[in-house]
Amino acid sequence: MTDVNRRAMPRWRNVVLEQIRIVAFSLRPVALVIAAVLGIGTVLIVGEILGGGPGFDSRDTFPTALFSFLVPFAVWRADRPFGPAFLWTLPVDRRRLALARVFAGGLWLIAVLALFVSWLLSLTLLARVSPMQTLARVPLIEAVATYLLGSALVLGLRHPLRWLLGAAGVFLLMGGVSQALEPYYGVSTLLGSRALYLAAQHTWAVWKTPPGFSQWAISASLSLGTGLAALWLAASRHKEN
Amino acid sequence: MNGLPGSFAVTTHGLSMRYGRETALAGVELRVPEGAVYVLVGANGAGKSTAMKVLLNLERPEAGRAEVFGLDSVSNGPAVRARIGYIPESHEHDYKWLTAGRLMEHAAVHYPAWDREYAAHLIKTFDVRLPRKVGTLSKGESRRLQFVLALAHRPPLLLLDEPTDGLDPIVRNRTLAQLAEHLADTPTTVVIATHHVAEVESLADHVGVLSEGRLVAQMTRDELRRTVLRYRIEVPEGWQLPRDLRIASVRRSSSGREVQCSTIGEQHDVTARLTATGASVRDVTPLPLEEAALAFLTEEGAR
Repeated sequence: MTDVNRRAMPRWRNVVLEQIRIVAFSLRPVALVIAAVLGIGTVLIVGEILGGGPGFDSRDTFPTALFSFLVPFAVWRADRPFGPAFLWTLPVDRRRLALARVFAGGLWLIAVLALFVSWLLSLTLLARVSPMQTLARVPLIEAVATYLLGSALVLGLRHPLRWLLGAAGVFLLMGGVSQALEPYYGVSTLLGSRALYLAAQHTWAVWKTPPGFSQWAISASLSLGTGLAALWLAASRHKEN
Repeated sequence: MNGLPGSFAVTTHGLSMRYGRETALAGVELRVPEGAVYVLVGANGAGKSTAMKVLLNLERPEAGRAEVFGLDSVSNGPAVRARIGYIPESHEHDYKWLTAGRLMEHAAVHYPAWDREYAAHLIKTFDVRLPRKVGTLSKGESRRLQFVLALAHRPPLLLLDEPTDGLDPIVRNRTLAQLAEHLADTPTTVVIATHHVAEVESLADHVGVLSEGRLVAQMTRDELRRTVLRYRIEVPEGWQLPRDLRIASVRRSSSGREVQCSTIGEQHDVTARLTATGASVRDVTPLPLEEAALAFLTEEGAR
């Protein structure tokens, strides 16, 4: 008989490194799309600058937070977190393995964001607009936070897309109800999405305004903290015992 | 767990599980001795795959527990999975965009016991084309790759869920021959879930029969051969089968005077009961493994 008592377990470092490599394969199609978009963008913008146009509007905002929210869907596209996935048959604690996968995806996301920022800086220099003003409009912390929230959604819910669509539907419905009940402001606020809408508008305004350091620190801690807490809860749905 | 002869590689204690209203497992008490090739027989939906998933801690039972080499499958999930080579029922691989070679590298990272030389031998034997994308493999190729992934780290326990499904007869025979070679080479306990018992008959030495989540029989192959037998008997006019016999199948001649019945029970006991009813036993033969195992599934409806 083989000595079944002494069965070696994989080294944690090797597992994490392998997750980084395997997520790279998973993100390859997304990376190709990004490369194509940035390539076309570069040609258009540089063409306009060389033609004497502004080429670049430093008041532009970038949907990096939305992009980051969607990245986990690509990171997990092959695995069924709630099914008998190959990933779960491996001899690694499942919650730790899920977190390693999220970490690997996060690492690649940061690499892509760094690349995007470099691209942006190069263009601002070429267009002679303020790089700091432009960079302030790239919500990097929020990008990481929304990545964590997106990961929590994919890991924690059996049907994340249905939940997303359902939530969007409810939001629209509440908007409709709110409009229909416009004369009765109190009722519409209570039932409708006005409060949510106002909150979203306010948040957006805060995001658009370069904050002071303390504001930034509080906001970063809150958003990252929420993302991490949600991720921990979601990953805990896959714990072994 | 001590690895001594007579100890069990797999034990389950009152394993019960439901999918909604469907009973998947009902108080299952598996006992798979170390070194055995245990064939788990049952119709589709009998609970075979669910039992395997519970052993891997992929499914959580509502009641009961499972142990693999003495390790609880829930509290020692990773350690248990490190000791298991698993072939799932589905041929589909998750990472369709990876090449077969890269998928093997991926698996190798997670099993320090991965034997590269042996893996290369298996790749050759199973004719796995490493540069091919996993998503483009045929059913048979996909199954062969799963065999390589399951065997290459020489696990002490193999869980094979319908392993011959999707293999053509030639490849199936070659695969089973390779499995037999592996078992001769590497001391391994094997649990094979299948409803094609005849295909794995040459390997099996223990049999368990699952019916609607209940383990209705569990014994060695010799015990099965001894207790499930076909009797050819001559019977008087108007003869009726004894009510207390466990009958799996009955076939009467056109004259009604000759009857062939497959029964479950010790031969001397069954013979005595038949004789007591006026029948005379002409011939007793053991059944092939598949028929013998299926006898436990058909006994209720045989009369």
